[in-house]
Amino acid sequence: MPILEVRELRARYTSSGPEILKGVSFEVEADDFFAIIGPSGAGKSTLIRCINRLVEPTAGSIHFYGTDVTTLPGRQLRILRRDIGMIFQEFNLINRMSVMDNVLSGRLGYTGNVRTLFRAFPRADIERALELLQRVGLQDHVDKRADELSGGQRQRVGIARALMQGPRLMLLDEPTSALDPKISREVMGLIKTMAEEFGVPCLCNIHDVRLAMEFCNKIIGLQDGVKMFDGPTGEMDQAKLDQIYAMEVL
Amino acid sequence: MAGSAGRATALQWRRFRFPQSLIGHGAWIAVLAFLAFSVDHLEIPLERIPDMLGRMWQVLASRYYPPDLAYILDRDYLDYVVETIQMAYLGALFGLLLSVLLGWFGSFNMTPSRRFVYPVARLFTMGFRAVHEMIWAILFVSILGFGMLPGVLALTFFCAGFAGKLFAEEIEAIDMGPVEAMRAAGANLFQTVVFGVFPQVRVAFTGISIYTWDVAFRAATVVGFVGAGGMGWYLKRAVLQIETERVAAIILSIVALVIVSEIVSAYARDRVMRMK
Repeated sequence: MPILEVRELRARYTSSGPEILKGVSFEVEADDFFAIIGPSGAGKSTLIRCINRLVEPTAGSIHFYGTDVTTLPGRQLRILRRDIGMIFQEFNLINRMSVMDNVLSGRLGYTGNVRTLFRAFPRADIERALELLQRVGLQDHVDKRADELSGGQRQRVGIARALMQGPRLMLLDEPTSALDPKISREVMGLIKTMAEEFGVPCLCNIHDVRLAMEFCNKIIGLQDGVKMFDGPTGEMDQAKLDQIYAMEVL
Repeated sequence: MAGSAGRATALQWRRFRFPQSLIGHGAWIAVLAFLAFSVDHLEIPLERIPDMLGRMWQVLASRYYPPDLAYILDRDYLDYVVETIQMAYLGALFGLLLSVLLGWFGSFNMTPSRRFVYPVARLFTMGFRAVHEMIWAILFVSILGFGMLPGVLALTFFCAGFAGKLFAEEIEAIDMGPVEAMRAAGANLFQTVVFGVFPQVRVAFTGISIYTWDVAFRAATVVGFVGAGGMGWYLKRAVLQIETERVAAIILSIVALVIVSEIVSAYARDRVMRMK
């Protein structure tokens, strides 16, 4: 039973603009660490943002644990988003806030407006944040401002923030593209360990094919909004990669 | 052959090409022509400008000196000074509170609704700005009568328009990354603004608020001219009675207050700049 079913997904940003996704379908199982690879402009980011509707798909359906995501109205959509953690290429931390507040912001979907205004998060959330910060190795940086941290440390805050939601799915949008190769590997390793520990399936945009092959159990190859490959990592080979990235040769 | 021809055209480059150059030069000529036309039409006696300063000095020395300092140290007058400061304070405070909402609703990226709330907020901001604070004061005096209330309202409207536009521009210039992250975590619009937007604009908002106070205070010293409270009323009365030495004293007191206010604001702004 797949936890996420995407059927014939289509998306375009403006009604007259080019179609970014041209009918993509796939399924994610409960224990998957799914990679989406493909050249720049293939629609990887758009695809991942359609799943929590940061981008509105124009056609197709997305079922998350049986709920059709595409038709949810505002309030239910926010409740759904609480279940989907997201990690970003540029970290998207609040630079002028402390590491602690950044991690706590993952709980906003569960927090009332008045508590939000005074940043008065419940005791349990604060304890959970401290635990997670310890797990990602930032226990000594709790009160630092987010922009005082290095790139790798910032992404660790991003990981803690996403896990703070207690997600049932994690969307990773190029989580290592802004990091150097060594740190990239560490961060991917951390994400994978945490995902396994918390039992969270992941859907990961990544353009570093070697990292994808190393950490992910399934791969989707996307080219110009069309799915070119979908299968276990073992079935991916150089010929198929060349086909997916053929656009870049031209 | 074809290759060399292509290169010859590629090597030609000019900053201004025909239509743009015509428009550019034409605009400059139009600006200068209108300047000459205006000076000529208004019959501005340019030859009188050189000895203007000398005459100004003469007038000041003979009629406005010595300033009637006893007059501005009078208890009644000092009450009006305090009233002016209070008016500026209330006007700036209410105006800034209003402009935070106007700035949020009138920023294209964070407005609750682009189709309805955004244009309404922009319209209000523009309306507040379009009318000069003295005109607001005249309007409110004619509606509410003499006193502080019309002055405070005029300053409120003025500050709301002034800061509202600047706030909206600040919000439109933020990095949308954190906003996206808050949305992805299931935050509602209010929470997104508190966590994703406000930390990014806090320093700029504080700076703009101090600037707004500056401008509001200067405006507060003159809205009394039309009966909207504060020391402007004293100034007007002294001018009408041709009590030039009192006028000099009042202007001196205004200048002194503005300088004090500027110094305090400059200090505050400096602190804000260094604020994290």
